Amino acid sequence: MGFLAPLMLVGVVALAVPIAIHLIGRQRARVVKFAALDFLLSTKRRTARRFRLRERLLLLVRAIACAAVAIALAKPYTSCARKGPQVTRGPQAAVLVIDDSFAAGYLVDGRPWIKSASDEARRILTQLGPEAELAIVRASEGADHPSELTRDHLRLRDQLIALEASGRPADTTRALARAAQLLAASSHARKTVFLLSLLARTGLRPDDPPWGKDGPALVVSELRPAKLPNLAVTSLRSDPEPGAATRGVAFDAEVGNFSDTAAKVELSLAIADRVVARGTLELAAGERKTKHFLAALPAGVRAADAVVSLSGDSLAIDDRRWVRASLRDRVRVMIVDGDPRTVRHDDEVFYLEAALRPGDREDSGTSIRVITTEELGGIEPRAHGTAGAIDLDEFDVVILANVAALPAARVNVLADWMRAGGGILISPGDHVDPAAYDRTMLPLLPQGLRDPIDTTWGAPPDERDSRALHLVKWEADHPIFAPFSKAAPELADAKFFEIALLGPTTSADRKVLARFTNGAAALVEASSGAGRTLLFTSTLDRDWNDLPIHPGFLPLMQQAVRHLARKHQAFGDSDHAVGSQVVLPTADLKKLEVRAPDGVGTVFEGDRLVGRSSVRFGRTDKPGAYRVIGTDQTGSTHERDELAFVVNVDARGSDLTLAPAAALPPSGTGTGGAPADDERRVELWHALAAAVLLLLLAEGLLVQR
Amino acid sequence: MAAPPPSAPPPSAPPRLHLDPGQLARLGSLTIRARVIVEGALSGLHRAAVHGSSVEFAEHKEYSPGDELRHVDWKAYAKLDRYYVKQFEQESQLTVYLVLDASASMAFAGGGIAKLDYAAMTLAALAYLVIQQQDKVGLIACGDPALETLVPPRARTTHLHDLMAVLESLIARGGAGDEPPARALARIGELTRRRRALVVLVSDLFDPDEETLRMLVQLRAQRHDVSVIHLLDPHERQFPYDGLTQFEGLETAHKLLVNPAAIRRDYLERMEAFLAKARRTLTDAGVDYHLAQTDQPLEQTLLQLLVSRSRLGPARRGR
Repeated sequence: MGFLAPLMLVGVVALAVPIAIHLIGRQRARVVKFAALDFLLSTKRRTARRFRLRERLLLLVRAIACAAVAIALAKPYTSCARKGPQVTRGPQAAVLVIDDSFAAGYLVDGRPWIKSASDEARRILTQLGPEAELAIVRASEGADHPSELTRDHLRLRDQLIALEASGRPADTTRALARAAQLLAASSHARKTVFLLSLLARTGLRPDDPPWGKDGPALVVSELRPAKLPNLAVTSLRSDPEPGAATRGVAFDAEVGNFSDTAAKVELSLAIADRVVARGTLELAAGERKTKHFLAALPAGVRAADAVVSLSGDSLAIDDRRWVRASLRDRVRVMIVDGDPRTVRHDDEVFYLEAALRPGDREDSGTSIRVITTEELGGIEPRAHGTAGAIDLDEFDVVILANVAALPAARVNVLADWMRAGGGILISPGDHVDPAAYDRTMLPLLPQGLRDPIDTTWGAPPDERDSRALHLVKWEADHPIFAPFSKAAPELADAKFFEIALLGPTTSADRKVLARFTNGAAALVEASSGAGRTLLFTSTLDRDWNDLPIHPGFLPLMQQAVRHLARKHQAFGDSDHAVGSQVVLPTADLKKLEVRAPDGVGTVFEGDRLVGRSSVRFGRTDKPGAYRVIGTDQTGSTHERDELAFVVNVDARGSDLTLAPAAALPPSGTGTGGAPADDERRVELWHALAAAVLLLLLAEGLLVQR
Repeated sequence: MAAPPPSAPPPSAPPRLHLDPGQLARLGSLTIRARVIVEGALSGLHRAAVHGSSVEFAEHKEYSPGDELRHVDWKAYAKLDRYYVKQFEQESQLTVYLVLDASASMAFAGGGIAKLDYAAMTLAALAYLVIQQQDKVGLIACGDPALETLVPPRARTTHLHDLMAVLESLIARGGAGDEPPARALARIGELTRRRRALVVLVSDLFDPDEETLRMLVQLRAQRHDVSVIHLLDPHERQFPYDGLTQFEGLETAHKLLVNPAAIRRDYLERMEAFLAKARRTLTDAGVDYHLAQTDQPLEQTLLQLLVSRSRLGPARRGR
């Protein structure tokens, strides 16, 4: 222990004051020789003892108080080994980077780790003092970060108290980079980043360090327990399994053991909140294994939420994983082949058939019937009461591939069927006469056709490819393009040599979903009643383009057909990570509500819905099953199972393995001085001052007695 | 018969000149003070105010030459044909034993004179009175066990001077020791044997073992006339102290640092209980009990005693 002002210790002489007062006080007491002392002694022996005790206590309290005042003025301090981050009081800039990833909810001694981190952060906040400019940066992926430092410590303290673990994985590197940015804008000489983190390696990327030697000092808290064993369901897939049962679904649940000891895990599968299967897995340290479940969906539903849970450990949030399990809906497609050929691959719909029914498998989800233009003459919707050769109501989608203009009567039948909910895809070709289409086919078209253009006309063969058009600027949010990225080479690389141009239109219902490099429309959509129509301005075979031999053709056709049939894939795009944005198609809805697992609803209507083909839902903060309720144009409201989706935590965050020290950026000097050492000074005069106050209080109470 | 209340003047006492004990103590020798009290304040009082059993038959003794013929019991000679002589106790005189408590507690002087001075003057006046009646008076002082003070009873005038000298030496020495009067009273019992005597004790009766009370009762049981002047200082009865005070014992080494206000009530209750018990014990046993304070006039204290004795005298003699 040392003293900052040792001269003040001279004041300890003041200790003599209460002693002198005590002794003088005793001498000042009148002495009386008394004969009847026995009466006093017998009656008040206890009182006298208490009196003597009180006098001695008073002397003690006063002496200690006097000595404590002198010692406090000498400003004693002690040095101790650093426990927790070193904190220096005074003017400075500091950022508290706090791990609020879902792993921060790890229970340490029955208490979430993040609460300990919050306590520690508040302690640092107090020790930094009111002159420090601060910011709190949360280290979860995608967390909002503050824009500047502040001295509003009360607000920061409230933020810390309210801090809870999010559902996202850690992205400590990004948080440190943001901390460095905030500190760079500060004029303070002393800059410190306090990192309160579980230091999971998955949250720290070996990127370029956010600062150099002259950057802020990095003080890492030692809040991480020595071991953080964790078990997690890291993946869950479901696939229709017609072989198991009519309504059979196969589930593959992958479980990871992120600890250094083997573990035996009990798993359960629940569908629609009912446990339907159980199983166990034995996992070695660090091992991942997949458990295969077979189950049947409840009768009467084509889709349901399923969850796989494992026996609880200290981190519960990643012990469950949801999946949207559904039976695949079969889309019934009638293809009108406008240019049938005897040579199979020359046929107009050869590639289209292959794309819609790959491998000609039963489980492809699509049933196809190909007819010729002549056969189309027998179409009659059953609703019209006329028995025809082809019942349109047995189909969800009709594709007119290079079909010459139909008679008005047939067009009207198709238009009526479309308005009732059918979907039509039209593609031009050499048999399509734009003028004839303008005369009769307009009810089926989003927009009138004009003559096609051949971009390679007159070009030598070696320049043909360079003059070809490509698909660009597609509506990435549209369900048809949902499987594709914004660049999507599987689409963009396709070459279009000839395309049909479109005539002018004033229709507000029509929407261009994709364009070519020359700005011409490639894919146009329009609604008609409850139905939809799509116009693809090039052929569906290789006559005008080479799209059919590119990987993008199959998903494009699949998505287009399902979009027209209003039967979206529940697989793949129904599983989202916490914090991600979910695109929901809204074409025929006037109101859409998304209900989170905790029952909180988000409503899209009015300006948020009108004129949009889809909406983006971003409040996916909680893992679980999200329901979607839609109100269509007729005003009827019902749950849209095909739009329901699930949200799961990112399995990367379940791996809590300690990051190597090299993964952290180097600690800068912060102040331009020496880096923090392991010793810190603890000033004791505050405690002594408090003790003096307490002693004075005790002295007052004793005097009163 | 219960003694009259100590604070009330005797109903038959005439108005007297009040002698302040403090001023009286400043007068010359104790003899003069005794004379001032008796002849000044008590003048006119009947000479035989202190009554005793003057002639009492004790036993027969066979005549031997030298015995007075007037004491020959002729009735016995007629019956037995032998000469017997009647023997008498205290043949003609009252024997008065004055017992002075000269222990250290009697040296206490709250605001006036010490209890010992007051007691000595009281006994000196009594001795003067008794000698004037030509009765015998003796003195025993107690307190210091190492220093035995016994003046045998005599009736001569010169004996009065001896008594006064002893009392003056006791006053000069001051109170000492912690022996209660019980032992002195027991000594009187031994000295008097079966002869009745008047015992007058002046003491504060501070005896933790209450041996003194038992011995007084025992003396009374032996048919002695016993009078007790229970003498206290006004401070002992009122406890008028205030402020931080350290009380030190006169007979013990105990010390007590205390705030008197905090214990006054308890002390006074205990003191009253002590007085009540002493009064009850002694009066029940037939002891002539008088409570006196050192601030009350000496003649008043004496009058209380003498009036009480004059009332008790005929009754006692008749027994």
